[in-house]
Amino acid sequence: MLEAIKPSKKTIFLYLLFPITAFVFTVFFPLLAAIFYSFFEWKNGPTKTFNGIANYIQLFHDATFWKAFGNNIYLVVACLVGQIGIAFILVLFVNSKLAVTKGIHRTFGFFPSTISAVCVGMIWSMVYHNQYGILNWFLKSIGHPELCKVWLNDTANIMLYVSIPLIWQYIGYYMVILFSAIAGIDQQIFESAEIDGANALQTAIHITLPMIRNTMLVCITLCIAGNMKAFDNIYTMTKGGPGTASMVMAMYGYKISFEQFNMGYGSAISVGIFVLSLLVIGGSQGLIKKATKRMED
Amino acid sequence: MAVTNKTAASNFTPAGRSSSKTPGKILGIVFINLVLWIFSLTCIFPLVWMGYSSLKEKRTFNADIVGFPKEPNLVNYQRILTNPDYHLAESMMNSVRTTMISIILIVLCSFIVGYILSRVHFKLNRPLYLMFLMGMLIPIHSLLVPIYVVFTNTGISDKWFTLLFPYVSFGLPMGIFLVEGYVKGIPVSLEEAAAIDGSSFSYTLWHIIMPLCRPILVTVAIIQIFSCWNEFSFALVLIKNVHLQTVPLALTQFKGQFASDYPKQMAAMLITMAPIVILYFMFNGQIIKGMVAGAVKG
Repeated sequence: MLEAIKPSKKTIFLYLLFPITAFVFTVFFPLLAAIFYSFFEWKNGPTKTFNGIANYIQLFHDATFWKAFGNNIYLVVACLVGQIGIAFILVLFVNSKLAVTKGIHRTFGFFPSTISAVCVGMIWSMVYHNQYGILNWFLKSIGHPELCKVWLNDTANIMLYVSIPLIWQYIGYYMVILFSAIAGIDQQIFESAEIDGANALQTAIHITLPMIRNTMLVCITLCIAGNMKAFDNIYTMTKGGPGTASMVMAMYGYKISFEQFNMGYGSAISVGIFVLSLLVIGGSQGLIKKATKRMED
Repeated sequence: MAVTNKTAASNFTPAGRSSSKTPGKILGIVFINLVLWIFSLTCIFPLVWMGYSSLKEKRTFNADIVGFPKEPNLVNYQRILTNPDYHLAESMMNSVRTTMISIILIVLCSFIVGYILSRVHFKLNRPLYLMFLMGMLIPIHSLLVPIYVVFTNTGISDKWFTLLFPYVSFGLPMGIFLVEGYVKGIPVSLEEAAAIDGSSFSYTLWHIIMPLCRPILVTVAIIQIFSCWNEFSFALVLIKNVHLQTVPLALTQFKGQFASDYPKQMAAMLITMAPIVILYFMFNGQIIKGMVAGAVKG
């Protein structure tokens, strides 16, 4: 702490006034407001009627909300495996002595994560389109027109199809994070492993993975947090459809609040999203810590 | 870059040791590079495909969706940019303004708050630190509805400055923690020496510390440029006036309007992506480094 200059209380107050006011007004105040309104029956009109915990009882029995929660979990799992898993394998490839032109993969691979989720959603809508889509064009040109379908109408597999764009967009992002972590490992460790006769797979599992454990944890946390708030992609591609097949929590909250104008119940959903997201993020952190501790023992 | 030098150096030694190339090794080289190139090409393919397809007209595109245009023309761009009903140029201006003001405010506020939390001892220091830390943990999409309610009730929704509030507030925590961590690495003796020379708190803050913090402030700005330019959900909820739409919002409307006219959609997307794409391919080294630093340290 700085002892030499002690700015007056007034100076600190003036400097901090704007950031803190803006922050409290946009983050904490709405949160309290959501909790308050969630106890009311309110259809966005002038009348609000207090109805106790009726909204929460409804939320608890709302099959669509829990389905949306399940879909968020699906996205989390799919992206953990798809984004971080594939990224890790690709990084091992880039880092291996056999790869040439390493820099270009970094530049190209990272690119999708800089464009907006709306653009990614639009691009993939074009890929999936039944008439003018690349995917059906590809299937036809390799001689399998019978596999063509209206991809985004396939209720049974829709979650798989909407998670592919998400995975695709962020593989490069995690690749770059993991790459910089691996570059920080002392190269001598790899050399002595090679001299000891460890093959690439053994080196990856027993040396690389434990050495970048902390970065891996950061990636996992980012991935979980990112997918609990999935919205933009889903909104652009399916709006939660067909039916409610690809509904996620944020999308459901949006539909209830801004299409059905049920603000009271929408507020209860918001509180639900808040609590469930924190539980999933916190719970997964605890699990990972436990698991890695056991690994150390 | 130190990173690439290091890997290049480590490549050199083992390759020198085993100079003989067995068929298995050649197969390995082909396989690994093939996989990497397929991945890289899928990442860049949409950009290329949209680039040349946007030069086609709807009719020629629908006849052959992947072929190169035989008579490339800029009709789509011309129509999009000259027809005032599309609001695309207007939404670009809105996005540029919102992004620029947000970045300036985020950088300035993160710098001030980060520095004060790192160096000045006062009663509310730890509570404030915890408050911003909590801000980082709050799932922001649970705030969509409540922010709409609060902003509508206070009459500040659907204004040109509306989006500055969420963008600055959600950008602040990460910026503050990056600055706070960075300032810890600056020796306090510097400020003490400045104080002895008669420098005031504000003078030290702006003229001595700020220049030193430039690298981290650039990082903060880089991270936020992308998230502000691409932000969609709060714009969707808070902005109803078509003249105030930001780019992602305008694009979703465009998609609804021209559902079957892909070349036009592509041209619109490319126009709105242009600033980001140019920025990215000019400064990708620094951008990647900044984003990684933000992810790992923040």
